[in-house]
Amino acid sequence: MEKYLSVGGRFLCRQYAPHLLLVLLFCLMSGFFVSFRNLNASQAAKVMEMYLAFTGILLMTPLFMPEQDREIWLLERSKAMPLWQLYLVRVLEALVFLAVVVAIFVFLMKKGGSVFPVGKLWLGAFAEILFLGSIGFFVSGITNQAVLGYMVSVLYFVANIGASKYLGKFALFQMMKGDYGFAPAMSAAALAFLGGGILIRERRQA
Amino acid sequence: MFGTLFLKECKQIAKSMVYYIYVVVFVLFLTSQFSSGLTDYMQEPKPGKEHYGSVTSHEPSAVIEKTLAELVLEASDNSFSTYPLGFYKGVTLNEQEEQQVKFIVEQCTGKSWDQTVQEMERHFSSYERDTMQGALQAQTSYSVVPKEDLSYEEFCGFMEKVCAIVGPGSSYRKESLEAGVSVPMTYEQAKEEFEDLCSKDQITGAAARLFCDYAGIILAVLPIFLGVTRCLRDKRAQVSQVVYAHKASALHLIGSRYFANVFMAFFPVTLTAFVIQMPYQYHAKTIGVAPDILAFLKYSLVWLLPEIMAVLAVSFLITEFTENVISIFIQVFWALGSLFSTVTLRGDFGLKLTARWNLWGGANEFWLQRKELFLNRGFYFGLALTALAMTVVIYEKKRREGETLYGKVFKRRR
Repeated sequence: MEKYLSVGGRFLCRQYAPHLLLVLLFCLMSGFFVSFRNLNASQAAKVMEMYLAFTGILLMTPLFMPEQDREIWLLERSKAMPLWQLYLVRVLEALVFLAVVVAIFVFLMKKGGSVFPVGKLWLGAFAEILFLGSIGFFVSGITNQAVLGYMVSVLYFVANIGASKYLGKFALFQMMKGDYGFAPAMSAAALAFLGGGILIRERRQA
Repeated sequence: MFGTLFLKECKQIAKSMVYYIYVVVFVLFLTSQFSSGLTDYMQEPKPGKEHYGSVTSHEPSAVIEKTLAELVLEASDNSFSTYPLGFYKGVTLNEQEEQQVKFIVEQCTGKSWDQTVQEMERHFSSYERDTMQGALQAQTSYSVVPKEDLSYEEFCGFMEKVCAIVGPGSSYRKESLEAGVSVPMTYEQAKEEFEDLCSKDQITGAAARLFCDYAGIILAVLPIFLGVTRCLRDKRAQVSQVVYAHKASALHLIGSRYFANVFMAFFPVTLTAFVIQMPYQYHAKTIGVAPDILAFLKYSLVWLLPEIMAVLAVSFLITEFTENVISIFIQVFWALGSLFSTVTLRGDFGLKLTARWNLWGGANEFWLQRKELFLNRGFYFGLALTALAMTVVIYEKKRREGETLYGKVFKRRR
């Protein structure tokens, strides 16, 4: 357990901190762009789906970034700890931060007198934001380029603005229409992307 | 030297996966937006139709009626659109504030709030709102008649009160009222519009504007990734020091990279524009109008090239400065902010990155706002050159001193 805490802590301080700072800045700026007061269920979902969704991209996509440097990757591969464990620790860290950020937004809206189903919104938002982030995670994992991960996940978000009807259960912005049924499918897809990304990175040879 | 470097850069971009995603996404986005049904709008309007589209009006009576209509719609949903910092922010009022707004509506109309809502529901139920055209017609034709003795000054006073309740950046602010409102077009106006479409736009001009409107949205985002990828490539390949030692000046190195990216980003735009214009060109000939075959190129050069240049130059600047991917977040935020801050989809160009003209035709209206568009694009052209110059300075500094102003700044400082 100690070694996992140690690698997690080191990743947090040395590589993840700037990304977390960006997420913090993004959340602090939210007051200028979204309102937390007197929202109904659809308006609260809009805050989560149109604004907070970006935190998924910010938190999940850079998790493979250190290993983009081949020397770091070779060094880490030579260690006793398998790489998949290292990646899993990072993913768990990101999931905790994501859960906290979503909970903070839910709390702020509730405090502002908004009326919405708390549990359903938290779960739906968590699944959707995680799904969006896991796309970036997976793409950056298979291409070894974080920029491509950001690009594909941002384009997926933009594509949903006009073409969500073609994406079925994987369409974003469904909570705004009062539909929460997407959460199981999206969570499963997110887990598949996360697992697939880790597996592909683990098997990478050069 | 510059020519050789430029060609080398173009070849490198052509080998990059990011570039192919750029091309595929751009082409898919544009082809999905352009439907073949647009040619239906190229027919001469016939009298007796219910709906001929809409036009902007500055008539005080029209402004009062349409603004009140918007206020009733927003107040009945208790969801107000505001743009306090140029970005969209939805505002929901508490019960007391809601009552105040409803009271203002009652004072403007001379009717009770319930009566106004009933009239609104009656109006919208008479349209088929599940079709796009029906919903649009219902929206365009809805207006709220004020009480007879309400003067424009009095109305502006009431709207100031609404602004104070809803917050800054709402549709009820003075500037918004002065921008005019969208009203249904009459047959005579539609006929005049069609004549302008044939004479001023020569059909292809209208299609070119619509193309630029759609392309402008996606081009506010896509080139960011090209710029960031290029600037980080040397670092990723660990050849920064080798390139620093190259005899070419920073101006040559950065200039060739930048203009190669601009060229490669603009090339698929003109090609797509050329392909998309062909059916319109053909259709114009069939209705006896000589099309302007260079319209797509002219509009793309003026409308889209400065945007591509600015987006690329800013991504070059931020990425060279920070040596990380932060430019993606800043610029995506900028692009989406610009997109969501659009109050009207026809003009109001201001200094927005994405200039919108989501309208087939509207030649006269566009001609009136053309100068504003030129100023906007001129600003972005200037911004692109300034950002490029700053990138050259930063790159030269990194080369000479082996340091940047951020991140690795103090690493090698003696």
